Amino acid sequence: MKKDNEKNDTPVGDGDGIIVLKNLTKKFGDNIVLDNISLAIEKGKTTVVIGPSGCGKTVLIKHFIGLLRPSSGEVYFKKRRIDNLPENELNKIRTYYGFLFQAGALFDSLSVAGNIMFPIRQHYKITDWTEVEEIVKAKLAMVGLDGYQHFYPASLSGGQKKRVALARAIALNPEVILYDEPTTGLDPIRADIINELILKLQRELGETTVVVTHDMTSAYKIADRIIMLHNGKIIADGDADHIRNHPHPTVQQFINGQVSEDDLAVLRARGTITQAQFLPRDFKG
Amino acid sequence: MIAILGAKTIGGVSNVGRFARFVWQTMITSARCCARTGTYPLIWTQMNIIGVRSVPVIMITGAFVGMTLAIQAYDQLAGMGLEEHLGVLINISVVKELGPVLAAVMLAGRIGGALTAELGTMNVTEQIDAVRSMGTDPIRYLVVPRVLACLLLTPALIIYADLLGILGGYFISVIQLGINSRAYWNFSASGVELWDVSIGVIKGFFFGAAIAVISCYKGFTCKEGAHGVGQACTEAFVASFISILALNFALGVITKAIYNTFWPLRGLV
Repeated sequence: MKKDNEKNDTPVGDGDGIIVLKNLTKKFGDNIVLDNISLAIEKGKTTVVIGPSGCGKTVLIKHFIGLLRPSSGEVYFKKRRIDNLPENELNKIRTYYGFLFQAGALFDSLSVAGNIMFPIRQHYKITDWTEVEEIVKAKLAMVGLDGYQHFYPASLSGGQKKRVALARAIALNPEVILYDEPTTGLDPIRADIINELILKLQRELGETTVVVTHDMTSAYKIADRIIMLHNGKIIADGDADHIRNHPHPTVQQFINGQVSEDDLAVLRARGTITQAQFLPRDFKG
Repeated sequence: MIAILGAKTIGGVSNVGRFARFVWQTMITSARCCARTGTYPLIWTQMNIIGVRSVPVIMITGAFVGMTLAIQAYDQLAGMGLEEHLGVLINISVVKELGPVLAAVMLAGRIGGALTAELGTMNVTEQIDAVRSMGTDPIRYLVVPRVLACLLLTPALIIYADLLGILGGYFISVIQLGINSRAYWNFSASGVELWDVSIGVIKGFFFGAAIAVISCYKGFTCKEGAHGVGQACTEAFVASFISILALNFALGVITKAIYNTFWPLRGLV
């Protein structure tokens, strides 16, 4: 196979990590989702981004790969500024990344093999299809699904879809893999299979891993570093022990799964649900 | 009140701008893809879905247009003793206006709705983001094959509609209403020129491109959820329908001006 586009590594910016954010702010209308975030993702490490639903975790990692553009601030990949690149240049950068979407985002119209071949077909001139089939087989073997080549996404379970999506994400041997809520919607056993897969891929491929999750079991298991987002800002950053012992009350509430006093006050203010608030079964309107 | 009006105006202008940008990107990428053989298999696949599977419904549409025209026009022409001229009226209406327009409207419903629903579902399930995340331009992979297939095959489908419209008109006029076959065809041949047929077919390129681009755009920009996809499909059909009528009017004016420039005296014959 021949590569269509040669990767361009010319360093332009500066920073310590493989991915660097400088004063990144993202607004949707008047809603500030990310507020002046500066961050460096270390090469070869697993960074886990935690935070409550809707706090901007997915928005954050979509900036890493240029799927979203910042309202202000800068994004660097391997010391090259990427937030101001045109789409065709970004497409070359994106070949360094693998992205596992929350629901897998497998192409319904393609088989499992077709999905995994997709990025290969897009970026390489294929002269030997046997070689491609071998690659597909190897990628599926890595996620424990060799033999599923001819299945279609509709016939797979939720966990299998995520594993196929993972096989697709690593098809181009990326240097960075971004996982968006990889264990959401899975039972604890299937979730742990995904955790083990993330660890295995990190061990075998040595790539940089960024995982967005609110599953603390998963975060503690896979993370070298945990970052917590709240109200668009990073409120905690460190290893698992640092997060466990973090003094910030919001961090403690989140990692222990406790509702805050403010939220409880809102629930109480709405009154106690009594039998009188339910409509009788023979209610006619 | 003024603030709402201002916000709506800005929103409208922004939408037009986004659509214009989408059209421009599609045109540029289509031109590039024509030189890249890698896109051809995708175009073939879409041609099968868009074109081949639309043939029956387009033929039925054409046939009913021709038959209805014959039934409706016969009484008026027979009242003046001109029933043998029925062929001219039917065939020129079918090949120049009704065949292309109604075939395009039928395609807007069948193809436009399907394109919007498919791309809209891909959008809300992050499949389009997945295409981008793997370093592929979604316009090149998803939009261009559909637009080119629609652009190339709509004229061919209009020819099918015209053919069945002519046969439908002939069936009612000659077989059912008893008009002399030779007279029917003679008057038709004298009244319908190659120019008229060509205009109908040329309209197909514009209608096909408009249907595909509008439908793909609505799919790419649809809102979250089942309601969002449904709403996008409705908007795509309405916008395609209006654009077909507007393009038909504009092309009618332009082609008439061209005809009068090159053949100024033919209208007197």
